[in-house]
Amino acid sequence: MNEQAQQIIGYILKEVVRRPGVEIHEDTPLVSSGLIDSLELVNILVKLEDVTHMRIPAAKVQPKDMDTVNLMFATAQRLGRPRK
Amino acid sequence: MPVGIPTGTGKTEAKVMTSQSLISLSVVVLLWAVAWQLRSLKGRQAVLLAASYLFYANWGIGFLSVLIASSLMNYALGIVLRRQPTAGRLWISVACNVVILSFFKYLPPLLEGAPANALLPDFLHRIVMPVGISFWTFQGLSYLFDTYREEELDPSLLEFCLYMAFWPTVLAGPVCRLPNMLPQFRRLSAFNLADISVGARRLLQGVIMKTVLAQILASGLSPGSGVTAGFDQMKSGWGGLDVLLLGIGFGFQLFFDFGGYSHMVIGAARLFGMQLEENFHRPFYALTPSVFWTRWHMSLSFWIRDYVFVPLAASRRDVWWPYVVFVLAMTLFGVWHAAKATFILWGVYHGLLLVAHRLGQRIKRRQPITWPASVGALLSWASTFCFVSLGWIFFRAHDLDQALTMFRTAFLPSSYRQFALSTTFYILVPVMAIGYFICSHIESFLLDWSARYGEEFRHSGELGIPLRSTGSLAGVNIIAAALFNFFSERMWWWLMPMVLVLSVFISLAIFHQGSAIPVTPFIYTIF
Repeated sequence: MNEQAQQIIGYILKEVVRRPGVEIHEDTPLVSSGLIDSLELVNILVKLEDVTHMRIPAAKVQPKDMDTVNLMFATAQRLGRPRK
Repeated sequence: MPVGIPTGTGKTEAKVMTSQSLISLSVVVLLWAVAWQLRSLKGRQAVLLAASYLFYANWGIGFLSVLIASSLMNYALGIVLRRQPTAGRLWISVACNVVILSFFKYLPPLLEGAPANALLPDFLHRIVMPVGISFWTFQGLSYLFDTYREEELDPSLLEFCLYMAFWPTVLAGPVCRLPNMLPQFRRLSAFNLADISVGARRLLQGVIMKTVLAQILASGLSPGSGVTAGFDQMKSGWGGLDVLLLGIGFGFQLFFDFGGYSHMVIGAARLFGMQLEENFHRPFYALTPSVFWTRWHMSLSFWIRDYVFVPLAASRRDVWWPYVVFVLAMTLFGVWHAAKATFILWGVYHGLLLVAHRLGQRIKRRQPITWPASVGALLSWASTFCFVSLGWIFFRAHDLDQALTMFRTAFLPSSYRQFALSTTFYILVPVMAIGYFICSHIESFLLDWSARYGEEFRHSGELGIPLRSTGSLAGVNIIAAALFNFFSERMWWWLMPMVLVLSVFISLAIFHQGSAIPVTPFIYTIF
C-alpha cells in the first residue's frame, strides 16, 4: 500500500467511520456498503484532492467512482488536473 | 392537470380507464410475451417499444408526442455531448429539459385563474401535464449527466426511446439509469422460473399494499374517518395528537401506495427478467434522517445525491457550504413534486432536518454522551420517525395555511387535550403502524431462518452427508426450512392465479372513480 492510500484510509478511519474494530483496505466497498454517506463522500473527495495535489472536477465524479480507495485513486488519475 | 394529492373524488385523475384501456393493457402484455420469443434483438426491442408506446398512448396521443419529442431531443443532445463533453453543452442540454418540464408542469398552475388575452394566448390555458413527465425527464437528464461524465454508453435510438418509454416505469418510476437498463435491453434472455416467482410475489405484495393497506388508511374503518377525511374535510380544530396521527397515517398511506406501486412495477418487469432500481427499503426503520433518505424513494433520492448534491457540495471548501447544499438539494426534491409552497416547505424542512442531524453529530463528537447504545438507537429512531412524520403534513396539506396551522398545533402542549377525529382513527393508525413493524420482523426472521437452515440442507445434499438427527430441533428446522424454501421458490404456481385476478380488479378500479369500490388513484402518478 502506498503512502497516499494509507493517508486516505487513515482519514476515513479517524474522521469518517470512527468506530473501533472496523478495518479498511484498498478494495473495501465504502459507498455501496453504506459505510460512508453523501456528506462524507464529499469530504473524502476534498481530502483526495489534498493528498494527490490535484483538482478533481466534482461534476465528473460518480459515487461508484469513489466506492473503494483504489477506485478513488484511479478516478483522481483519470480526471485530476495538477493544482495551479 | 391540477396538482394535488388524489383524494378519490376524481378531480386529479389523469384519465378514466375505459374498457378500451384494459384491452390495450392486455395487448401490451401479450406483445411483451411475444417479444420474449423473438430471436432478433432489434426485433425484440422494436416490439417492446411498440408495446410501451401503446400503453402510454392510453393517457393521450398528445402525451405520447411529448414523450417521443423529449426522447429524440435527449438522444440528439447526447450525441452532441459525447462528441465534446463540455460544461457549456451540458448546461444547454439541462436547460432544454428544464424548459420542457416547466412548460408542462410548472406553467399551468401559475396561469390558473389568469384571464386569456393577447399576452396570454388561450392555448396556454389548455396545457395538460403529460403523466410521468417528471420521471422520464429525470431519466433523460441522468443519461446526459452520465454522457458528460464520459460513461461508456452507446445506445441506439431504438434503445434510448425504449429506455425513456419503458412501460412499467413510464408513469411513475422508479427513475431508471441507462447503465442499468442498457445491458438488459441487449440481453436475449428467456423466461426464467426464478424471475417469475420473484416477480409474482412482488406484484402480489404491491397489489395488497395498494388496494388493501393504503386504501384502509385513506378511507378509514368507517366513512369519513380516514387520512383523506382528516386532511380534506376539516378546516381547523385538530388537536396535537390528531396532527401527529395524521402525519404518521399519511406517511404509511404514502408508503403503502407508492411502495406498493413500486413493488408492482418492479414485479411486472421481473416477470420478464428485467431488474429495475429499488425504490424503498424499510424506510421506517431509519435511525437518522440521512439514512431515511437512502431508504425512501431511493431512485430519486440517489439521483439528487449523484447529480446535484455531490457535485455542488464539493464545488466549495467552506465548512458551511455542504449544509446550504443539503437545503438546496432537498428543496429541489420538494419542487420536483410540484411548484407549490407546501412542497417547497417540505423540501426545506427535510434539508434543515439533515443539517440539524449533522450539527448534532458534530456536537456529540465533541461532547460524547454516555448511555447504552440501545437507548441511543431508540431515541434516534423515535425522533427521526416523529420528525419525518410531521413533515408529511407539508406534503399532504392543501395549502400553506393548513400546513402551518397543523404544524403549530403539534407543538402546543394544550392542544393535546383536544380530539377532533373519528374514534376509529385513533385505533387504526397505531394498529397499522405496529402491525407493519411486527410483519417486517416476522419477514426478517423467516428469511434469516430459511437461509440458515436451507443452506445446511443444501450443503448436506451436495456432500451426501446425512442430516442431523431428524428428531432434534435442528433437524426439524432443516426440514421445515427446506419445505418453506421449496414452496416459496415455486410461489408463482399458487400466486399467479391470485395475481391475475387482483390485477384485473386493480386495473378496473384504480382509475375508475365511479366504480363500486372507490379506490384512491396512485398518488405518484400526478407528479
